Amino acid sequence: MKTLYLAIKYLAILLWSCFVLFPFLWAVTTSFKTANGVTGGATWIPWLQYKPSLQGWQSLFGGSGGTDISGPYLNSIIVTGSASLISIVMGTLAAYGLSRFTFRAGFIRNADITFFFISQRIMPPIVLAIPFFLLLDQLGLLDTLAGLILVYIALLLPIAVWVMVDFFNNVPRQLDEMAWLDGCTPLTTFYRVILPNSVPGLIVAGMFCLIFGWNDFFFAFTLTFTDTQLLPVAIVALNSSVTPWWSLSASALISVAPLILLAFVVERFLSRGGLAGAVR
Amino acid sequence: MRSDKLLRTAKVLAASSALGLAAGMASAEDYTRFGIEKDMPGMCSYESIDAKDYSGRELTVITHAIPVIGEPTKLHAEQFSELTGADVEVVHVPFGDLFQRIMIPFQTGQDAYDVLFYASLWLGDYNPYLANVPEEYQSTAGMQALTDTTRDVGMWGGEMKQYIMDGDRHYLKYREDIFSDPDMQARFLEETGRELTVPETWEEYNEVARVFTGWDWDGDGDPNYGSAEVVKRDDLMFSAFISRAAPYAKHPDVGGGFFFDLETMEPLINNPGWVRGLELFVEAQESFPPGGTNFGLGDEIFSFGGGETLMSYSWDDALIQAQQADSPIRNDVRTQMLPGAREVWNRETGEWDTFEEPNRAAYITWGWTSAVAQSSSNKDMAFDYLCFFSNEANTRHDLQVGRFGVNPYRTGHFDADFWSDDLGWDRGMAEQYVETLERIDGYDNRVFDLRVPGVGQFMTSLAAGVAEAVAGQATPQEALDGVAEEWSRTVERIGKDRVREAYANVVEIEDAR
Amino acid sequence: MYRQKHLFLLPGLLVLVAIIIFPLLFTIRVSFSSWDVFQPELDWIAGGNYGRLLEDARYWGALGRLMIMAVGTVLIQYILGFALALLVLGDLRARRFFRVLFLVPMMTTPVIMSVIWRTVFHESIGPLNGMLQALGLQGVPWLSEPALAFASVMMVEIWQWTPFMFLLLLAGLVSLPREPYLAARIDGAGPIRTFFAVTFPAMAGISIAAILIRLIEASKIMESVYVMTSGGPGTATETSTYYIYIRGLRDFQLGYASALSVTYLVIMIISLTIIAKVLVRLFVKDRT
Repeated sequence: MKTLYLAIKYLAILLWSCFVLFPFLWAVTTSFKTANGVTGGATWIPWLQYKPSLQGWQSLFGGSGGTDISGPYLNSIIVTGSASLISIVMGTLAAYGLSRFTFRAGFIRNADITFFFISQRIMPPIVLAIPFFLLLDQLGLLDTLAGLILVYIALLLPIAVWVMVDFFNNVPRQLDEMAWLDGCTPLTTFYRVILPNSVPGLIVAGMFCLIFGWNDFFFAFTLTFTDTQLLPVAIVALNSSVTPWWSLSASALISVAPLILLAFVVERFLSRGGLAGAVR
Repeated sequence: MRSDKLLRTAKVLAASSALGLAAGMASAEDYTRFGIEKDMPGMCSYESIDAKDYSGRELTVITHAIPVIGEPTKLHAEQFSELTGADVEVVHVPFGDLFQRIMIPFQTGQDAYDVLFYASLWLGDYNPYLANVPEEYQSTAGMQALTDTTRDVGMWGGEMKQYIMDGDRHYLKYREDIFSDPDMQARFLEETGRELTVPETWEEYNEVARVFTGWDWDGDGDPNYGSAEVVKRDDLMFSAFISRAAPYAKHPDVGGGFFFDLETMEPLINNPGWVRGLELFVEAQESFPPGGTNFGLGDEIFSFGGGETLMSYSWDDALIQAQQADSPIRNDVRTQMLPGAREVWNRETGEWDTFEEPNRAAYITWGWTSAVAQSSSNKDMAFDYLCFFSNEANTRHDLQVGRFGVNPYRTGHFDADFWSDDLGWDRGMAEQYVETLERIDGYDNRVFDLRVPGVGQFMTSLAAGVAEAVAGQATPQEALDGVAEEWSRTVERIGKDRVREAYANVVEIEDAR
Repeated sequence: MYRQKHLFLLPGLLVLVAIIIFPLLFTIRVSFSSWDVFQPELDWIAGGNYGRLLEDARYWGALGRLMIMAVGTVLIQYILGFALALLVLGDLRARRFFRVLFLVPMMTTPVIMSVIWRTVFHESIGPLNGMLQALGLQGVPWLSEPALAFASVMMVEIWQWTPFMFLLLLAGLVSLPREPYLAARIDGAGPIRTFFAVTFPAMAGISIAAILIRLIEASKIMESVYVMTSGGPGTATETSTYYIYIRGLRDFQLGYASALSVTYLVIMIISLTIIAKVLVRLFVKDRT
């Protein structure tokens, strides 16, 4: 019984791992192919089944038939990083406020404000493109990093608020009350007592901000002309009508790399039980 | 800058001494380091452009994704920048998003891009925002050498709005090695009671495709199929469908509109000729490779160019793919004008007319073009760039690189020697290729794209209707009736007169022959 | 003492309102105009666009498909995510490796991975059918048969977003208190009964939050449809956002697309509110 259970367990884990890895393995082998390798069908092993080539990888670093992604890589890091940071700071403050105090304006209550934050993610981005375009135009921020950061804050702030409200709701109020008895103001309470206990929540919120920011394609795409390119936009520039499977595969692998490091960081906290309070 | 000049001189010296001052090098400078064989004189030659100084100025260019058109855009931008000192910024956009990326700045009054590379059929929407090509550029040797048809693609209301740098047309591609194989011919005769010939009509095309589907006729161990076509919705499928329907719906003696009746602006899209075209398109899917009904242009190229399918029709790309140096089917491919129809719908008499010699229709389907924005403050530099892009030396180079997607568009390109000598194509193949292109370009019964405001709206509803029929969600008649209804509403919304005025431009060129 | 409370809320709230208010109002305004590819102007046609969308069968069809796809994928993601979290919760060889691995798909850019998936599903030169044929089986029309294409798109969504559920649920599981489990063991409850009596109810809050957030995000499904099928075959995989995209940025009928979006927004807010209420009732009933 026990062995059967173990066998099923490992089998399930193995199956899912294959599913997760499958597209990556395929991308790895495809990234070394040429057109003939691709039309040759579902081959996996270089030299034996197809003639490998480095063309796909070279094209990502200014080689012929490609695009240089180092500039966009840096832009992506700047935009995602700053927008996430600002969102986390403001989101955490707002979430703490929503979790600890009562706000009231007419019929609007705390729950409504929280919902307002979250509801910003419901709107399909497609139609917002034009008004955002006009807005940034008015501000003179079209095709700039600052403009993108501004728009990304609108995308990421709701996530930060959502995660942190949940988190603070699970931090015992006694902590606050004890601090107040000690004579702290709400601000110092937040700064000295609550924040140091909030690292797990911040990790989760930060991770989601980074993921959604890094992977956004649409706004990075519509709100820039030529100066400010982010990584997904630069990669999609390779998606021609004659799809170069090889360079697209290589670029997919390369764009994932930094976030895989993030997965390791998150897992560390997870294993230490550090995320415990983050979602409860 | 100075060290650059020094380096350049050093390179020239080295090159000339190595070549022993090669014959024919008329200019003082050697530009072969740009990857061209030799500079060719003219208003936009390397030498002329080198003489200009645009340093300190920025030129912004929007173009298609890499490699098709996007790669030559980038390559010539870098060269232009090096020659003139201008800062040229290029942005690459996938085809599906190119239209809106150009349109949003236009509509919001932004001076975002100086130079635009896009699909020529969008002229109906873009023309108010484009600068006319100045006289002096129209009189360059390159412009003068445009074929009549490609020149017509650039014209709008008597003005040249598009700077032609590519010529595109749909034609039939097939595997000569199979068609000429006696075993294959015998097998075909046995199955159909008819000799195996290159299809003259779409009925024949479907029949040949069906017989050569589902078995391994090239002996590589994998099954082969009859036809690869662009059927994926919103991925240029409308173009493939129009190619198939045109000979049935475009009567050579009936002018006054192909998509609409120019007088009444009633859609013709659901008349019996179009419906016949769609029936045959739907029927053809039995001869597609697996997944063929979801094939985009890239899939069609890999399928035919990779040797999986017997026939295909669309732009040059699949042919070029098949002709790659390491391709297993190099020189096994031949071209022919698209099949025609023996029964043609005459919308004036409301009857089917019979043609002994199949009626064909040359569908001049969109193709790439370039233009300069009206709002650009760098028009001088922009036209110089485009002129440089398509100067004789660059064009000759670009034509040889398949993935660039630059296809013959000047009379001088219809030269079999070029294709056989410079690219090493089989002589017979090169001759047939040139003959095919010439025949299409000079063909009397022509159809142009629907270049009217809102062409995107007409084509997406057409594609949606055709996709429904192909997927079996509606009969061809039902599907096209639905499209016609939507077209009527769209015309209503845009304004009948506005659409008619634009469409008249197209019909005028169509009926000119 | 409470006077400082506004210092917490207002910066975030005001910044968000400042960024979003113009686009939101503008969209509503445009939805009452006939802004189209040939006339970029804000005229007033009252409810013309709204009248038109009521009769737009493609829009409502897309909305129906979206509902099925969103609810379907999120439910499957929830079940799979929960199962996976339970699997890597206890003793396991290379536990860290699997935990990281299971997180990875979420980290990838959807628009790029969709291109990779499209090549995976490619029916004549893709690896899936290649493997089936190597096993002597028939190839499967992954993207060219309506039901299968729908399922293929769902599969990619599940691949991409199950990690989201997995992460939240695993974090929740890790932090569950031990006492109820000891009590259950003393009662002699088996693993299955323990799960339904102890684990599941304790996870109610996090489950509801995770499902709701995923539903919001899943409703915007776009990249996978766009890249893999373009809404085809026929209209089999056309969902609301893709349809709005076609009308808005392909056709450039901005007025009409704005009306579609505003309607979509209202429908989504109402249905999410209802779903939230239903979920709370369901889970709370389980608890008693």
